[in-house]
Amino acid sequence: MQSGPEGMKMDQIEKLVQRPLLYNNVDGVVELGLGLMFLGTALFQWLPIQSSWWHRYRSSLCFLLLFAVIHYGVKAIKTHITYPRTGFVEYRKLKSAWLSVLVFICAIALLATCGARFAARSHWDIDGSHWGMTTPVALIGLVIVVFYVLHIARAVRWKWAVAAALVICSVAIAMLPAGVVGEVGGGTSAIATLSERSFGAWLLTITLYGAIFLLSGGISFVLYLRHTQPAAETVE
Amino acid sequence: MNLKTRRIAEIDRVIHEPGRLMLVALLSAVEQADFLYLQHETEMNKGTLSSHLSRLEEAKYIEVVKTYRGKIPQTLLSLTADGRQAFQQYRRRMKEAL
Repeated sequence: MQSGPEGMKMDQIEKLVQRPLLYNNVDGVVELGLGLMFLGTALFQWLPIQSSWWHRYRSSLCFLLLFAVIHYGVKAIKTHITYPRTGFVEYRKLKSAWLSVLVFICAIALLATCGARFAARSHWDIDGSHWGMTTPVALIGLVIVVFYVLHIARAVRWKWAVAAALVICSVAIAMLPAGVVGEVGGGTSAIATLSERSFGAWLLTITLYGAIFLLSGGISFVLYLRHTQPAAETVE
Repeated sequence: MNLKTRRIAEIDRVIHEPGRLMLVALLSAVEQADFLYLQHETEMNKGTLSSHLSRLEEAKYIEVVKTYRGKIPQTLLSLTADGRQAFQQYRRRMKEAL
């Protein structure tokens, strides 16, 4: 390992450069926002297929309201709780280099999922059409996990367990029988079409992800409040 | 003097000090941050932090803006273009020298 001034390692300097990026979720509010968004999205997509009374325009309106609540709620928590306790940070705009990295990660995730799919089919002889519908959903789930690991889980060790739980959820949903997934998507197990299976897998994924994010964010928020105090108002 | 020794001699002394190096590294990743954030991350006391920030400001590596968050005074700090360039150069030279 390379050493810099007074024993400070070059690796430590690189970690310091990354720290402000991980600070964004120091209070768990990003996860709380994600959790609410996922659960809200699942609810407003599920309601129209369950009730003829609930029209699409109502869902769109509720989406807008939900996003406004999340946006202003996160802002309010940051302004009134986080910044007075552990300080304010304004982030730089995303660089094009980061976009290349994200595209690369998505491509790797795609390859890994396709590989896993073919391996599973050859081993367990699972119905191909079902996999065709649930694999894209599992892939989206894995991409979300990659984002989660890069931006959140890296900062806190126990969040790796959350990332593992997300992966397990994605795999479990992909393994569920076609009838069960199709029923969630609006049909009955007997007449579930491919699109209903796909939609059902999507609903299950965002519901489970939302619940996990909400739980993880809630724990982080409580721990943050316990371990920090508002700073005394003194001259800097 | 060989190339490696020359590289070490060329290292920026303002940034090389561990406390200031931490501050510059943290500020390099953000547009701006306040005094409280830097104090929280570096665990320095206010006096030490102020002294390091003054030294960096003298070198024109950081810009200090005194403002208010509501009625509470807030000190915002950001790396200048010179500071950003100096930090990048420092990292490059350290990697070459070590």
